[in-house]
Amino acid sequence: MNICDLAVGTEAILEGFSTDSPFTRRLQEMGLIPGTIIRLIRKSPFKGPIEIAFGYTRMALRPYSEDKIYVTELLNK
Amino acid sequence: MHETTAFVGTPNSGKSTLFNVLTGMRQKVGNFPGVTLEPALGEIGNKPNSNTVLDLPGIYSLDPISPDEELASSVLYGTNPHIPKPSRILFIMDATSIEKGLFLYSQISNLGIPIIIAVTMVDSVKAQGGVFDDIALERILNVPIIPVVGHKGIGLEEVQRMIADATYFIIPDPLFATADIKERILWARATTKEVLSLPQLNAFSTTLDKVLLHPIGGIAIFLSVMVLFFQSIFSWASPLMDLIETLFGNMQEQVAYLLPQGIIADFISRGLIAGVGSVIVFLPQILLLNIIIVILEDCGYLARAAFLVDRFMGIFGLQGRSFIPLLGSFACAIPGIMSARIIPSHRERMATMLIAPLMTCSARLPVYTLLISAFIPTTLIWGFFSLQAAVLAGLYIIAALVGLFIALIMKKTVFKGDITPFLIEFPPYRMPSLKSLLVTVYDRSKDFLTSAGTVIVTLSIILWFLSAFPRVDFPPETSTIVQQQMQLEQSYAGSLGKVIEPLFAPLGFDWKLTIGIIGSFAAREVFVTVMGQLYATDTSLGDESLRQILYNSIPLASALSVLAFYVFALQCISTMAILKRETGSWKWPAFAFAYTFVLAYMFAFATYRITLALIS
Repeated sequence: MNICDLAVGTEAILEGFSTDSPFTRRLQEMGLIPGTIIRLIRKSPFKGPIEIAFGYTRMALRPYSEDKIYVTELLNK
Repeated sequence: MHETTAFVGTPNSGKSTLFNVLTGMRQKVGNFPGVTLEPALGEIGNKPNSNTVLDLPGIYSLDPISPDEELASSVLYGTNPHIPKPSRILFIMDATSIEKGLFLYSQISNLGIPIIIAVTMVDSVKAQGGVFDDIALERILNVPIIPVVGHKGIGLEEVQRMIADATYFIIPDPLFATADIKERILWARATTKEVLSLPQLNAFSTTLDKVLLHPIGGIAIFLSVMVLFFQSIFSWASPLMDLIETLFGNMQEQVAYLLPQGIIADFISRGLIAGVGSVIVFLPQILLLNIIIVILEDCGYLARAAFLVDRFMGIFGLQGRSFIPLLGSFACAIPGIMSARIIPSHRERMATMLIAPLMTCSARLPVYTLLISAFIPTTLIWGFFSLQAAVLAGLYIIAALVGLFIALIMKKTVFKGDITPFLIEFPPYRMPSLKSLLVTVYDRSKDFLTSAGTVIVTLSIILWFLSAFPRVDFPPETSTIVQQQMQLEQSYAGSLGKVIEPLFAPLGFDWKLTIGIIGSFAAREVFVTVMGQLYATDTSLGDESLRQILYNSIPLASALSVLAFYVFALQCISTMAILKRETGSWKWPAFAFAYTFVLAYMFAFATYRITLALIS
């Protein structure tokens, strides 16, 4: 599933990206590599940016673009 | 150039705070990714030219995605045409987000430049109940490590001592010359586990975010912060601005009193003192705006504010970060445009700076107040809402909406390109460093006074010349006011007004209004003074009589047309000067002047015609 389809508060494992773009490369350089466990902290209304946390990092991103971020939800953490 | 030490680190690593505290000069820090847009130079130590240090913009990797990152990596690779490759690196890592620091270090280690590492925020690790093992990290990397706490001064002397001595710097073992991102991150992650144990995320930040980023509560707080911001810049700066104006007014009177009346006294008082005064008068707003913005940045709120408004700004092709410069421009476009440096994407930064002059700045207020009070009746709408206030609010709203719409057009044409995805790291909330704040505000103000100030003073003197020459021989017994009126009417500026009059005639402006427009090219508020001189009243006695005279001598349609013109026209030399400095070319201020002029002309023409049609 795409990262923005996650429910707020759920954890997921990062599978990969739909594209190889400067944006997705930057996400990886910041530590978002496949296999990383992320947590969706909050969404903003009207398809605005989302906030995610992983490791000691918290970041906001606008994920509604060509660059899809695929994740698998972790059911019981 | 002699040997330099470059400060290199990730955004929010405390790099610029350390730089400011060590050098105490030219630099900008922010708890906000991407604020350091140009590298700052500084000196450390007492001997001049002993240790030159260079603060590069914060980067996540050596593969840049924005112009500021491009600058940092080109300097480090030695390919920058202006800045030579540094001979040494002080690498700065934030202990609380050391994985990103280690990733960047793994790339930097391949440059072959001798390095020492300063690790910041070690106090935050302790405060969160964690442990950071600098000895273990030193053993793993084989490079000297110094733990520092910039704002508390811990470790600073050691850094200073080591920077002074090249022998402390060690060329690091190159890590993964060809490895891909994933391999480097996995190494950084494994190394982090060995040197850092941090049991919890910053609990304070997490809790505060629940409130400050709440979909309803967070927006309400954001709007309150903005109202406060807006209000404080007007109400706190205006007494100081009045004081400065009074001081310069007194100086002019002193000159008139001390020197014999004539061209020299006139030059000193109306050319030189007025010119310098028109620069200094902006200083309170610039100081205040910068203090507030730096505090909001350094404490970490600005990154959150960008998150909150990103969606709304997205409608107009801008992003969350564009909001602060635009908001600041309601006070004055000069500090507003300067603060556009917080936008990393070149296209969005340019679009934001170019529409900043359309936000209604405080210099338009004297013009609005004069014309609205003279021409708009004091009636109430629905019994309670003042028509005058409604017109004033309408002028603000129309200008802002047209500005955002222009941004949208520019993003679809001149600054067309792929959408830069919005991505921003949330730093933990932090107490801003007072010393760093003072250094930043001092530098920005000095910057404004030296670079914009010179242009403003020069152009003010040129305008004085145009209105003071050729000299007019007054018949004896003419009063000072009539003399001023005759002088202005027959000066180059006056002749120019009459020559240009046909251009503005379709807007309903006569030659007097045209001179008002030309005279206020340097600064909008000059319009009031020029009107006062042309209609031969003493403006210093209060503008009650001026209002009455204007009401009797200017048709309503022309007055409304002038108002519409001021809503859009970029009649401000200071803004042009700062746009030139921030964009690096006169092309962009010329473009901004041209498009706002076209808008002003169109709207003024429409207002004039529609009012005429309605009246008849």
